Amino acid sequence: MKLVILGKGGQGVIFFSRVIARAALGEGFSVCGTEIKGMAKKGGPVEIHLKIGEGRSPLIKPGEADLVIVLSEDLKEYGSCFGKKLFVFSKEDIEEALSKVPPRQINTYLLGRLIKKEPFLRKEAILKVLDSENQKFFLEGWNDV
Amino acid sequence: MALGIIKNCFLKKLNYNIVIPEKEIMKKRFYFSGNEAIGAGLLKAGVRFLTGYPGTPSSEILPTFQRLAKKYLNNFFADWCINEKVAYEVAYAASLAGIPAAVTMKQVGLNVAMDPFMNSAYVGTDGGFVVVSVDDPGPHSSQTEQDSRFMAMAAKVPVLDPSDIKEAYFFSQKALSLSREFKIPVLLRSTTRVSHGRAGLEIEHFEPLLDKPAPSFKENLKTWKEKLKRLAATPKLRFLLHKELNQKLEQIASENKPRFFFEGDIAIITSGGVFSYLYELIEEHSLEEKICLVKFDLPFPIDEEIKKELKNFRRIIAVEESMPVLELQLCAEGRNTGIVPKEGELTPAVCEEILSKLGLLKKKKHISFPPLPRPSLCPGCPHRIGLFALKKAFGNSAIYTGDIGCYTLALNFGVTDTVLCMGAGVSFSFGIKKAFQMAEKGRAVIGIVGDSTFFHSGIPALIDLYHYGIPVLIVILDNGTVAMTGNQKTPSSSQSFSGEKLNPVSIEKIVEGIGIEFCKVVDPYEFKEVLKVFKEAKKFLESSFSPAVVILRHLCINTKEGFSVNPKYRVKIIEERCTGCKVCINEFECPALYFDEEKGKVFINQVWCIGCGCCVYACPKGAIERESR
Repeated sequence: MKLVILGKGGQGVIFFSRVIARAALGEGFSVCGTEIKGMAKKGGPVEIHLKIGEGRSPLIKPGEADLVIVLSEDLKEYGSCFGKKLFVFSKEDIEEALSKVPPRQINTYLLGRLIKKEPFLRKEAILKVLDSENQKFFLEGWNDV
Repeated sequence: MALGIIKNCFLKKLNYNIVIPEKEIMKKRFYFSGNEAIGAGLLKAGVRFLTGYPGTPSSEILPTFQRLAKKYLNNFFADWCINEKVAYEVAYAASLAGIPAAVTMKQVGLNVAMDPFMNSAYVGTDGGFVVVSVDDPGPHSSQTEQDSRFMAMAAKVPVLDPSDIKEAYFFSQKALSLSREFKIPVLLRSTTRVSHGRAGLEIEHFEPLLDKPAPSFKENLKTWKEKLKRLAATPKLRFLLHKELNQKLEQIASENKPRFFFEGDIAIITSGGVFSYLYELIEEHSLEEKICLVKFDLPFPIDEEIKKELKNFRRIIAVEESMPVLELQLCAEGRNTGIVPKEGELTPAVCEEILSKLGLLKKKKHISFPPLPRPSLCPGCPHRIGLFALKKAFGNSAIYTGDIGCYTLALNFGVTDTVLCMGAGVSFSFGIKKAFQMAEKGRAVIGIVGDSTFFHSGIPALIDLYHYGIPVLIVILDNGTVAMTGNQKTPSSSQSFSGEKLNPVSIEKIVEGIGIEFCKVVDPYEFKEVLKVFKEAKKFLESSFSPAVVILRHLCINTKEGFSVNPKYRVKIIEERCTGCKVCINEFECPALYFDEEKGKVFINQVWCIGCGCCVYACPKGAIERESR
């Protein structure tokens, strides 16, 4: 599976992608990918490529991603160049998440919702790589779908 | 073809998609980046002395080594040096004393270390010496797309070029063993895609590594005299050392042959990360019988015999990043015949285009990406408010010679006119001011440099500025860290990564030690005070035969300590006062401030805002207010 994850520096995009990568490794899949960070720490675009169970190089060609996860809505158009299937965390999604969980846990919460809707990994595989606090918020997201 | 047999034995090794039983994963599998793999590989190889200077995309190698060494070793040295030249010489000297050593840097850092690099090839090494240089084809975060393999060739140093994370781990070990065997420095070249790539990597435990390095320096007086000839060689002996070096290279070349994959009659010769893209494309498009992929683990030196072997192919095409190193050595097609682009990264999509140019694939429709939002300084960054004050004091007519660091982003809001290389912010101010003086123009020139860049190569330029009495203002942005590359320490730290005591170096004492009288330290958050100091500097420069220096000191808010001590205000926009003039957006450019097109006013994004309160100074209408929390 070819997965592209897009977001902004400071949003926890890297953590988000590593949870998926570690969960996939835990399931026995090969994982290769890359983390493309720009010059800026906070607010700059971050682009992650992940190949799960296939491939040997870290890059995904334009138009060939099986799923593009967009954590920041303004990167939607950019993300659509990687593949047709987009999963966008909209402004409303993020605001809704903010009303339910602390700001630092938004990603974990939204990951729960993502995995419920797009079950490319088992829920248990993700839970295994999260600490107890994150597990709680992940399940909250999972149950909210 | 006989090459097919070689191919088969390598294919077995290349099965990367093996499913590993769960227990083993827990034990041995890491999700490592290429840089982490290199750091771990150097440690595993036996390196006990590692230095470097941070630079994207190489910065994570040394911290990985530190983290692992702290856990598994008793006796080692691993830390940052003031610049790449010093880092190179420090670690190289340790290797001459018999300790396996290495140095890490980015590709433009190797330019800074070129003097010792070229020389060390002749002198050789005793303990083993690995030079890690990470290239940035693209470029993504560098000034040039230069190729460290080319630099290795120029210096006559063997170079290993890993194509993925696994090879990054094993080649760093091979680099040291090659260096020890032939007593020659070995360059390990990586690229952004390998260094920042990640993969599940299975590695052995480090436990049995608790050995003690033993310097052999001067232990045996007999061999010491012999060695001395080499360590302080005269030009006459250098000639002999050069001859010896050539012999070493010939032998290394003959023992390191390329590897052949697939069975076609078109040879594509390659090394490094591009190999893995080509390998994937050949499989994806079933080109196994059309292409033979020839992979050079060691792109320099190359055995003469290889040229003969390659003659069996119908065509020989070099596809490599980012300069024609293999192409020139093997007289192949590639950049010289227009098949391979001469600039830019060879991404999988570009490699696909190359294959279609060869008539092996149909031309694909090009997908063009919309531009990404440009990066800007973090919300709360002390550089932003400091440079905003600088512009306010000196205006649009002044020339701002900038430097390499986060503050290069001041380009966005017009407080940086030039960026060349490390330290040039200081030396450029000299050249440009002198040129204005010669043309009898009184324009103000201001050099901008960060603390780490000042230490790295700003100091010599400042000495010249004072020596020749050049009346420019040098602004040193001191945030106590090498921020852009991930907050590494500078010589002003009083503690090493492991908590050991270090002597902190004072920037103002250096400046004053040079003889510069106008040297003021001020916190950029104290906006009014900063403006006052800049005005004083301006007055001083009108009649001085010396530069003035202002040090803007405020910890980087991207560090734990910096963030915890930073002022935190409740910041709000008084909507009635905002006229939508966008001064705060264009001249202050904080990511937490955004312009609402519908309302025609500026608002604060509370998710991004850290409450520094600096933006109150940016609004000419007083529409931004802050109150203590």
